[in-house]
Amino acid sequence: MMKIVTIVCGLIVLTLFFFAARVPVSLTSDEVSRGVSDAISEENISVDEDIVEKAVLKSVEKLEKRQSTRLKYLASAYIVVWLVFMLYVIRVAMQQRKLDQRLSQLEQDTEESVE
Amino acid sequence: MGKSVKILAVITFVLLFCSIYLIFSYAQIEKTMLEVQKIFYFHVSSALTLFVAFGINFVFSITYLIKRRSNADLLAASAAEIGLVFCTITLLSGPIWASTAWGTWWNWEPRLTTTLILWLMYVGYFILRSALDGENKKTFSAVFGIIAFLDAPIVYYAVDIWQEGLHPDRGTKWDLETTMQHTWMLTLLAFVLLCVLLIIVQYKQKKSEERYDIIRQKHLGKLL
Repeated sequence: MMKIVTIVCGLIVLTLFFFAARVPVSLTSDEVSRGVSDAISEENISVDEDIVEKAVLKSVEKLEKRQSTRLKYLASAYIVVWLVFMLYVIRVAMQQRKLDQRLSQLEQDTEESVE
Repeated sequence: MGKSVKILAVITFVLLFCSIYLIFSYAQIEKTMLEVQKIFYFHVSSALTLFVAFGINFVFSITYLIKRRSNADLLAASAAEIGLVFCTITLLSGPIWASTAWGTWWNWEPRLTTTLILWLMYVGYFILRSALDGENKKTFSAVFGIIAFLDAPIVYYAVDIWQEGLHPDRGTKWDLETTMQHTWMLTLLAFVLLCVLLIIVQYKQKKSEERYDIIRQKHLGKLL
């Protein structure tokens, strides 16, 4: 039973990483410049495209950095939670193993004393 | 393990998988704290589950003192152990969330302090159990369990009692989006079931250990 629980806990951790890894994809500079030119042409504004592109790229970079920090905190919180559970399950499994060993020793002692 | 325990284990793990899926794929990202708010689902759920576990310890401690049944003592000890696990999770996940939400890892505000006291009291409960033996161990730990649980309502009403702190008080409207509410409800249910499952597993193990000790005593008695 404890082996199954440990395996399931491991699977939960893997699932966690699978879903946690699905973070929004970072924007490439090509995508940013395309977006900026599209917006400028759609709105028909007369601005320096290069300056706007640089500003947008810088802000995207900042936002991504902040998001990466937030995701690090989120991941560490979930790792801590599942680590505590895993350690507890391992402890219970070890106790069970010790008990099994003691039981088989007692069985052996009983058989010897009968003989 | 009985069939009902196996069914409970399957339901619990399915719910845990579902809750993880909902947290990362279904629940909306909160507007102020953004992704970090997702810690809420496990943090608050484990905080509420610890009350369930310590509540079970409280009930079975009283039962033991009234009926003097060994099973009640074993159930109380198992519940306290699982409660301590959930309390540890709450105390560890909280500061990680707090460091981004409040800008500090730890603050000696009422709810945090009383939760730490609760954790320390149950650590004390196990120190007491390991120091004593026989009837004394069961009686004193039952009394200590009842006293320790008195801190639980203080933790729950801490913000209302002291009227200060960083945690929201009970009157604060949470305004959770529907997707967030569904996710939280499912996570809470999964945690409560996990708590019950772990208590049963721990109880059965303690019961086996007790039986082993009785058989061993009898065996030694026969040899002497």
